[in-house]
Amino acid sequence: MSETSAGPATLAEPPTEAGPPRGLAGIAWHWRNDPKRELWFAWYSMIIFYNIFVIVFFIMTHAQPPPHPDWSDAQVVSWFNGNHNGLLIGFGIVFAIAALTVPANALIAYSMRRMSVSRAFAYSYLVMYSLSAFPGMLLLCVVLSVAAMRPGRDPAQTHWLYDFAFLSYIGTMGIFLVGSLVWMLAILLDKNRVLPKWFGYLNLCNALTEVVVAPAWIFHRGVLDWNGLISWWINMVVFGVYTSAFMVLLRTMIRREDFGEGPLPDLPNTLKAKIAALAGAAQ
Amino acid sequence: MTDIAQAEQPEAETKKPARHIPGQPDMWVLVLFEALVFTAYFAVYLFHRSAHSGLFLRSQAYLNPWLGTLDTVLLLTSSMFMLHCVQAARAGVARAAMTNACLTALLGLGFLISKVTEWILLTRTGHGFTSNEFFMYYFFLTGIHLLHLLIGFITLGVIMYQLRSPKRGSREIVETCATYWHTVDLLWILIFSLLYVVR
Amino acid sequence: MSAQPEKARARNAQAKRRSLIVLLILVAITLGYLALDRSADAPGAYRARSVVTTIAILLALVKVRLIFREFMQVRNAPMLLCRLIDLWVAMIGAALLASYYIGLAVH
Repeated sequence: MSETSAGPATLAEPPTEAGPPRGLAGIAWHWRNDPKRELWFAWYSMIIFYNIFVIVFFIMTHAQPPPHPDWSDAQVVSWFNGNHNGLLIGFGIVFAIAALTVPANALIAYSMRRMSVSRAFAYSYLVMYSLSAFPGMLLLCVVLSVAAMRPGRDPAQTHWLYDFAFLSYIGTMGIFLVGSLVWMLAILLDKNRVLPKWFGYLNLCNALTEVVVAPAWIFHRGVLDWNGLISWWINMVVFGVYTSAFMVLLRTMIRREDFGEGPLPDLPNTLKAKIAALAGAAQ
Repeated sequence: MTDIAQAEQPEAETKKPARHIPGQPDMWVLVLFEALVFTAYFAVYLFHRSAHSGLFLRSQAYLNPWLGTLDTVLLLTSSMFMLHCVQAARAGVARAAMTNACLTALLGLGFLISKVTEWILLTRTGHGFTSNEFFMYYFFLTGIHLLHLLIGFITLGVIMYQLRSPKRGSREIVETCATYWHTVDLLWILIFSLLYVVR
Repeated sequence: MSAQPEKARARNAQAKRRSLIVLLILVAITLGYLALDRSADAPGAYRARSVVTTIAILLALVKVRLIFREFMQVRNAPMLLCRLIDLWVAMIGAALLASYYIGLAVH
């Protein structure tokens, strides 16, 4: 996992004849000696969290895609009854692993610390996203668990909890919007080439999806409600592209990391480098 | 993937000027991506239009095609001045570039005023965001477009900031911001035809 | 040596003329929309017309491609970008026309 870099700050490498061992012993070696182990821990936490998130929200609880905002009390109660165990067990799992978002956010903030811009970007992003986890995800989990906990509750009350949960989840997008803009600005101003500029612009797209979701507060049916074709489905495609992009880019960043202060060196074997080499050889 | 897509190819003809990507290739990723996202919105609109064609047609009659045409001409002209600005920046004539950037901004402002006026006129006659499904699409599409226009003003500000000092003046940044501005124009062309003209 | 600024000025004037012509073409197409709008049906009595819709979408695509090639200078960009833009315009057109006609068929 540790890469040699061509840049001025090189990592301490084991002697070539010893080399990092392979297999289980290799994992142990990396755990003890790899200077990037915390970064990899953070990255794997992010991957594990998002995978569990998808399984819990989409498959176990059916909270995503969101059910309809214009259901009657009876339909809402029926949804809770149909998902009773899934909701309680699924969100129980989320409560247990929610802390995995912390190293994930730290890794993103780390990317900004490595940039040539002010540290304020990293710190403000960290604060924003740490605080946003509550209204942005945990509140939905708490409220839906509360509603599922007592199936005999008054249907009107259950419906109230249902509205509260989904609106809190959808409606608190403002923090994510500002957070995306902070990361965008940091990337665009950065001179250390930590993350590519196109990802900076993708942050803008992501921020705009938070605006597109805002009409969910107003509409109870149609394409702009919290379940709508535009507000949810198209938005999720954009969000999916964005999230996949940053997972891959952060992995590349960790591989390129040289713990210096200057521009991050490129990886030696990228396709871009190969094309450049071919172009150079052709001349 | 995108790095490959935007890799420059060697110029075959020796007489023509070398082909180059205007601005950062990264901005083109945004342009193409946003075009896809907006196309998705338009596709949803067109698909749902035929479900309520009577309502959509009646509501569409309240739109003023002259205002829509004016908006389009304003943005098209602003795009032309934006191109002049980039060409002047390339030639190193900062003053002409700045003048053209200001003209672009002025026309953009004209569009903004025209659009807000149209919104006010519509809401005054009782046609708002929540009035019916057509106006929901109308205000949503023109609203999200206006947001892109406001971001466009920020990019114009970046261009002017770059042009003010010859030390700073980065041709690449000017071209990149110009590419964004043209996208705002492009999106309006599609919105105008779909909201005002399509039956 | 003295021919250089002359050449640059001539090239500059030619570029400006070209952009003006492009603008006039785009404005003409836009005014063509108005004509289309007027001729489609009587004011206040709009009717669903797929011919009008198709022409409107195709004209929009022509304008979009023109803006890409002339104003955004894709004309002078590497062939890969030119082809990519053409592909994008085709995709947008296909998506718009398909969603309209499928919508008509379904509803």
